[in-house]
Amino acid sequence: MKYRLLALAALFAVTACGSTDPGPAASAAPAKLTVWIMDGSVTQELLKQFETDYEAAHKGVDLDIQIQAWDGIGERVTAALASTDAPDVIEVGNTQVAQYSASGGVRDLTGKIADLRGEDWIPGLAEPGKIDGKQYGVPWYAANRVVVYNKDLWAKAGIEAPPKTRDEWLEVTASLNKGGDQGIYLTGQTWYALAGFIWDEGGDLAVKEGDRWKGALDTPQALAGMEFYRRLQALGKGPKDADEANPPQHEVFAQGRVGQIIAVPGIAARVLEVEPGMKGKMGFFPIPGKSADKPGAVFTGGSDLIIPEASKNHDAAYEVVKALAGEKFQTELAKAMSFVPNRASLAGVLSGDEGTAAMAAGAANGKATPNTPNWAAVEATSIIKQYMTAVLTGNDAAAEARKVSESITTTLNSGS
Amino acid sequence: MPAATRAPAPPLARTPQQARRRARRRTSPWPYLLIAPAVVAGVLLLLYPLIRAGVISVQHFRMGELIRGGATFVGLDNYRELLTGEEFWSVLLRTAVWTAVNVVLIVGLSTGVALMLLRLGRRMRVALMSALALAWATPIIAATTIFQWLFQSELGIVNWLLDIRGYSWFADGGAMFAVLVILVVWQSVPFAALTLYAGLTTIPVELFESARIDGGTSRQIFTKVVFPILRPMFALITSLEVIWVFKCFPQIWVLSQGGPDGATTTLPVYAFKIARVLHRYDLGSAVAVVTVVILAVALVANLRRMLRQES
Amino acid sequence: MRKALLNGAALVTLALTIFPVYWMVVTAFKPTRDIQSDTPSLLPVNPTLDHFATAMSAEGFWSYWRNSLMVTGAAVLLALVVSLLAAFAVARLRWRGRGVFVVAVFAAQMAPWEALLVPMFIIARDSDLLDSLAMLSGVYFMVTLPFTIVTLRGFLDAVPIEVEEAALVDGATRFTAFRRVIFPLLAPGLMATSLFGFITAWNEFSFVNVLIIKDQDKRTLPVWLSTFRDVYGTDWGATMAAATLFALPVLVVFLFLQRRVGAGMAAGAVKG
Repeated sequence: MKYRLLALAALFAVTACGSTDPGPAASAAPAKLTVWIMDGSVTQELLKQFETDYEAAHKGVDLDIQIQAWDGIGERVTAALASTDAPDVIEVGNTQVAQYSASGGVRDLTGKIADLRGEDWIPGLAEPGKIDGKQYGVPWYAANRVVVYNKDLWAKAGIEAPPKTRDEWLEVTASLNKGGDQGIYLTGQTWYALAGFIWDEGGDLAVKEGDRWKGALDTPQALAGMEFYRRLQALGKGPKDADEANPPQHEVFAQGRVGQIIAVPGIAARVLEVEPGMKGKMGFFPIPGKSADKPGAVFTGGSDLIIPEASKNHDAAYEVVKALAGEKFQTELAKAMSFVPNRASLAGVLSGDEGTAAMAAGAANGKATPNTPNWAAVEATSIIKQYMTAVLTGNDAAAEARKVSESITTTLNSGS
Repeated sequence: MPAATRAPAPPLARTPQQARRRARRRTSPWPYLLIAPAVVAGVLLLLYPLIRAGVISVQHFRMGELIRGGATFVGLDNYRELLTGEEFWSVLLRTAVWTAVNVVLIVGLSTGVALMLLRLGRRMRVALMSALALAWATPIIAATTIFQWLFQSELGIVNWLLDIRGYSWFADGGAMFAVLVILVVWQSVPFAALTLYAGLTTIPVELFESARIDGGTSRQIFTKVVFPILRPMFALITSLEVIWVFKCFPQIWVLSQGGPDGATTTLPVYAFKIARVLHRYDLGSAVAVVTVVILAVALVANLRRMLRQES
Repeated sequence: MRKALLNGAALVTLALTIFPVYWMVVTAFKPTRDIQSDTPSLLPVNPTLDHFATAMSAEGFWSYWRNSLMVTGAAVLLALVVSLLAAFAVARLRWRGRGVFVVAVFAAQMAPWEALLVPMFIIARDSDLLDSLAMLSGVYFMVTLPFTIVTLRGFLDAVPIEVEEAALVDGATRFTAFRRVIFPLLAPGLMATSLFGFITAWNEFSFVNVLIIKDQDKRTLPVWLSTFRDVYGTDWGATMAAATLFALPVLVVFLFLQRRVGAGMAAGAVKG
């Protein structure tokens, strides 16, 4: 028995030691830089390529690019910022960057704007990364949603040209929605799409009054946006209680029985992964606006890059940021992933591709979510999604809107 | 060995004779040495973090303070904010209902299953026990993901089987609550049932037989024979389930984030929202402290009984 | 008639209990097209191993496994040793403060672990224990310890003291008596208890998420389980395949232990 106990103790000692042994890299060794990139942002090949090129150009630098899963990322980034040895560069969503910047854990890069050629950064990325006049987040890439349609189904329904106005859009969608086919697969909780409709009506998700934020989903404009969403959503079988990720809408679209989906153009690659037969059968157009002269407003999604204060290699980290945000990589990124590059002057790389052209057309009317550190909390608690489900399943829109607006107000003003 | 004169001790019951016979060597250092590792671990890894949480709860401690340090003392402000807010009390009430519904269902169903196991033929019993084992062993995250998939409105198999395609379980507070109860009960019954079954097998068959010969009905046998013997075990399982269900968090968060419209926001979900979504670690810690106090009060009768029994 | 009713009820229970698990496994074997199909089929019509391939080719898969096994194993073993000592003191010896200790152990189960995340993170950071599997094992050990002590004490109580006394009368030392007589009787209890600890530690996601930061190679399986989701959505097939693989070790351990546990319980009952 004694021996067995000893063996157990030894075993534990071994596992314990084995796990603490590899301490932080000695400072004499080449600088090891850790970069966090979100899952799905960049293909493995492109990252590999970047890593090789960068290490070749910067002798003595060892890049460790880590792909981050989405689950629990908020806490992981918070923990990283609060740690003593943080990753050197972190990609954060443009709706999240404000809260990290406000916390004091992110390096102020205001002095580097000129060096990064930040004069024509696209506002949807630059503004959220900026707090009180200081630039913390460096714009990385953007994407906005377009309508992706199934050319076969459109031909079958005899539709010749993409709709230019909302009314045409409803008409076209209704004519697609018959037999076993869905006019549009729009899940009940695609809240970025709703935001666009609300902006078109002249409303907003929340507004700032003095120094207080106020949820604004209960304004007549916002309710009109929701009403349009309801009418559109009814022209298909999208689940009213799920978002576009569950099940992934590209998997549904790939089955070939769905007329349209609202998504970033990069989704085309995912559709082809599931169903190679869809090649050449996907068309794209900007989300229609209220009138034909202007496309619908869209949410500009995307990412910023930040350098944590707790990084031990600020200068080396900045060089990586510069390379990632620079013209060469931006061009490659935009082409490979169908993203909008971080600078308006680079938008030319998008021409020639139908999907990205549609996106660029829509991007002209791009907007961001309310610029407050607490916005991230509104997203994390899914209250807008739950509001949409409630309305779509028949609850009174005005009453639900009042409730959710109150919730948003509370959340946005809960100081940090 | 007086096996025939007294009921065999179920795992947690002890008779006075046993206790008395154990009384020996009052001043020996051995007991203290034996519990020392557990005490040291508890102090370092539980008590100390708890104290730190307590300290945070009387500070202004948010994301900035976590990252930069420099939290300031604010006295009982966080507790005041918590206890004077309307939401806390409605959350508390909901948590009580949530705990009560689940625990009653879990203990009731697992007692039924345990009694069923006792009477089943060997093959059926092994099959059912294995199934229970499977359900119990399925990781929480995996099980929760499956349930999300089962109850999906358009493609979920539950709606397909019930022929209510398109009905949304997640849109309505009551339905959402029900789905979560089903999930938690499904996950919890196996442990309780298997433990109770193990307890039941310690009751000698003769006791059942003599009770039956005396003309007892099944119900009488349960209330007069089974329950008294297994009372400590029922007490233990019930209080463990109270603790577990009360603290249950990942299932609710993954499926509903406490929604729709707060209908499934129990105390742990509330604490999570405050602490880790709003980054108000100070208020979150206050919730945690209050939670511990509430649980302790809820189980005070049980704790007292334990203390009395032990000494 | 009664028999049929009983078996019928058992079958229904069996079906309800097992269906979600079954559905997980079946979904893992279905091609994506069939998963999204309008009419769900109860059997995988066109079974495929694609999802398992996706799940297993995820980066760091094997190191996640190794870490999970190591962390869980260390936590469970340590918890068993420490609680065996404490449980013995509680069940077999009389001492001042015993009641308080027992109540404290029971109360420790109420620990609001979710809320201790931030303090634990701060403690780990300040003692330079971030990115350390030992720290993680320590936390998991503590999470399982109170329950382990409570249950082991229960199992010890079930071992009749007469057996031990007989051994002592025969001239054995206390330690020998424990090793020769009690320990074998206790084995099933040890196993049952360790299984609980195993499941708890195996499942844990929150702590590994914030305690392992920069050293990604030290993450555990629950982290891997959540990697099949990105901006475009959740890969259900791969998630189900991953969940199946994730549950597998626990099921194996359980099915292996269950026979022993059952046998042990029965034996304990007869001897008691």
